[in-house]
Amino acid sequence: MLWILFSVHGAGIGAAVAAGQRSMHAALRTAAIAPAATGVWAIWSVFTNAEPRVYEITWVEALDLVIRFRTDSLALLMTAIVSGIGALVFVYATGYFSPGATGGSRFAASLLAFSTSMLGLVLADSVWTLFIFWELTSVTSFLLVGFNNTKVEVQNAARRALMITGGGGLALLAGLLLLGRSSGTTILTDLQPAEGTAGILAALLILTAVATKSAQVPFHVWLPGAMAAPTPVSAYLHSATMVKAGVLLMAVTGSAFADVDAWKIVGLALGISTMLWGGIGALRHVDAKLILAWGTVSQLGLLVTLLALGSGKAIFAAMSMLVAHALFKATLFLVVGEVDIRTGARDIRELGNLYKTMPFATGAAVLAGLSMAGAPPLLGFTTKEAAIEAALGMEGIEQVVSVVAVTLGAVITVAYTTRFLWCVFGPGPHTLVTERRLAMTIPASFLALAGIAGFIALGPVTTIVRRAATELNEKSNVYELIRWPGITTAFLISMGVLVAGGAMAVLLITRSQSARTNATAPSPLGANNADQALDGILAVSRRVTSFVQHGSLPVYVAVMALTASVATIPFFTDLTIDHLTWWDHPLQMVFALAIAATALVGAFVNSRLGAALTLGAVGIAVCGIFVSYGAPDLALTQLLIETIVVVGFVTGLGHLNREFPKVVNTWRSVRLVVSGLGGCAVVVALISATASPSGTAPLEVLAGQAVETGGGNNVVNVVLTDMRALDTLGEVVVLAVVALGIAALATQPEQAPDEEVMA
Amino acid sequence: MIATRSPIARLGIRAASPLAIMTGVYLLFAGHNQPGGGFSAGLVFGAVIALRTVTGLQTPRHANTLISIGIIIICTTAAAPLLVGNELLDQQIISTELPLLGKVKTGSALPFDVGVTAVVVGLIIALLHGLGAANLAKPAQPASRHTSSTTDAGAEV
Repeated sequence: MLWILFSVHGAGIGAAVAAGQRSMHAALRTAAIAPAATGVWAIWSVFTNAEPRVYEITWVEALDLVIRFRTDSLALLMTAIVSGIGALVFVYATGYFSPGATGGSRFAASLLAFSTSMLGLVLADSVWTLFIFWELTSVTSFLLVGFNNTKVEVQNAARRALMITGGGGLALLAGLLLLGRSSGTTILTDLQPAEGTAGILAALLILTAVATKSAQVPFHVWLPGAMAAPTPVSAYLHSATMVKAGVLLMAVTGSAFADVDAWKIVGLALGISTMLWGGIGALRHVDAKLILAWGTVSQLGLLVTLLALGSGKAIFAAMSMLVAHALFKATLFLVVGEVDIRTGARDIRELGNLYKTMPFATGAAVLAGLSMAGAPPLLGFTTKEAAIEAALGMEGIEQVVSVVAVTLGAVITVAYTTRFLWCVFGPGPHTLVTERRLAMTIPASFLALAGIAGFIALGPVTTIVRRAATELNEKSNVYELIRWPGITTAFLISMGVLVAGGAMAVLLITRSQSARTNATAPSPLGANNADQALDGILAVSRRVTSFVQHGSLPVYVAVMALTASVATIPFFTDLTIDHLTWWDHPLQMVFALAIAATALVGAFVNSRLGAALTLGAVGIAVCGIFVSYGAPDLALTQLLIETIVVVGFVTGLGHLNREFPKVVNTWRSVRLVVSGLGGCAVVVALISATASPSGTAPLEVLAGQAVETGGGNNVVNVVLTDMRALDTLGEVVVLAVVALGIAALATQPEQAPDEEVMA
Repeated sequence: MIATRSPIARLGIRAASPLAIMTGVYLLFAGHNQPGGGFSAGLVFGAVIALRTVTGLQTPRHANTLISIGIIIICTTAAAPLLVGNELLDQQIISTELPLLGKVKTGSALPFDVGVTAVVVGLIIALLHGLGAANLAKPAQPASRHTSSTTDAGAEV
């Protein structure tokens, strides 16, 4: 089944490219089919509690390289989120983009390619599979963030996202390999607990990967920048799916690090600082989409905190939070996209009164927002309760730290949610609104209602979440989401959070009302530094390149000749000339003298054409030597090559002056020394190589085989086309690549390369 | 460049082309038992094309098409034995009686060699284009004057 779904995705990418030639909408509709089918399959499997199955292709057996997928409960739950929300986002995008929008092929195909990579990522069950799909999501997300590729800030944002998440992928690979080495397996579900220094190192590497992908401080800088992407992309990648990849990784590998203190300490530090800093960011910003992005950073921090706690209760809370967050955050992004399209504004200072003009969007946003703030009767409320309960369930210092952090984070969440809802939809300046686009309203409303449905059908939701959480930690199987907990500590904290957050929001709103006109958008803290660091690296590499790749042909030749001369020094130690004879046939001496004479003439000729012709003469004399040794094949090829080279020279010389430029004396002596050294080196290397031939000449064996298996008497040709045909195949491909390279070099670029534009 | 103004070179190359092509074809078929082969044949064809290009005679121009065809032929030949259960690149030898030629023995190495020839010819065409050989034979255009101004117009081959 899984292979069929992957094939459907692959075919969908091709079909989307084809349909994109017609229109953006056609491409999006075509692309929606694959995730819709997968979503239905995954939701069905989740509800029927399908048996986990393993799908495996062995790639290189000796290296343990396998593509391996496993459909356990957690993977299926994530698949349902990835593909379900994916299908809705495709529908939504048909409303977001106007029918005449360009770039349909590129957008739809990249988004579906991302969806496919994400699917592979959540289902992956081997180290290699996970790594490949992890990096694929980084690359496809780069394409999507950089969709509007003509703007400099979009280019920077896309590059930043790629560098940070892609770089994290390398840390992931290193960490997983360390872990796999100590466990003796590359299968994720078989990983054994790690210990010792290797365990600490692996924990830190994997946490780095988690932090880059799931936007933890200080790697979070890419996520707000990635809001430069079209809103369907933000809703899909940056709230529901890709940023969850890090959290998922942490969940999957968590059991292996149960005994590593560094895992818990660093994880808590990352999670708590991100939760608070993200919340503060959400309060500072005035762009509705950025508020949500920073809110996502904060929520991801909460998830990482819960996973770092690692108790059964915390894992259970994290899994339920994961589901709830995917639902409400995607909804909010979809609504903001609709607001953006229909009003042309995202700045909360310019928006207002939308509750009158956009009632459906407001309804969806309020439902999702309340769920995010953790207000009853919504799914977000029960999951927040679970999170507080999990924090209360810890002991000692861990309890104090986690309860304080989770409570503080929740207060800020309530505050920025209230501010967001009030400022965008509440009373304020009247914003003009264009007509409704159903394709945008429906997916958002659907996801928002899912939040209520989840609260009503809390039983099944609990079962599904518990099944997934139990796979990560066996102690999770006793917990459940509670609709009405009664007056417990957690409930009291929860209510206190709502009151405190509300009060904070009121304060902020009244303050910002007076400052509405002159407030400026805060600078993107940290993002500039990341860009500067990247630019610095690029500048260094450019300097190194311009030093190493000098661009002067004589310098290249001199460096190569000198290196070759140095390489022959070891041969001097046992140099004998006893085995040398003057010639095997007197004709060879004639040819040798001819070679020497023409080469010498070539060195003194001033005309370029003359030099080319003397080189050709040298080559033809070499042909003569081949013939005298009875190698007609070699001679023929050499002759033809020389012919072509001379014609090529003559052609190329048409662009140049007839004479060589005058040479200054120092450079002339450098040339003399270099060529003298090069010549001596070749002589020495040849003498010592012929002094001690090793093994036996393969001629007899080859000649026999040539007639027998190749059916030909020309050994050289049979070797090329039969015995070593695979080598020839490779060489031919190299030739083709060379031809492509020539074509690329010879064609003048119409504009400066991208690198220049981005720098 | 040079030879466009030299009717002798032009005529000579035009007359020699068919002979050279026949030589190339001979090398292609002879390669299995005697000196020659796909690579040599490709070089002969390439030399013909190079000479015709610099004298402004008509030549094939589709380097990419030739290279693609060559690679497709090679890959097909390489993969065909897999279909009948043999190993990759396994050699099949066919021997038949043909009128006039008598007993002819050939094998799957022949299409393989043809593919190599196509790629080599394509590469040479690409090289010639890269060097701007085709433009040299044309009268200097205003756009390319700054490059052709340094051309040594009087040189002879």
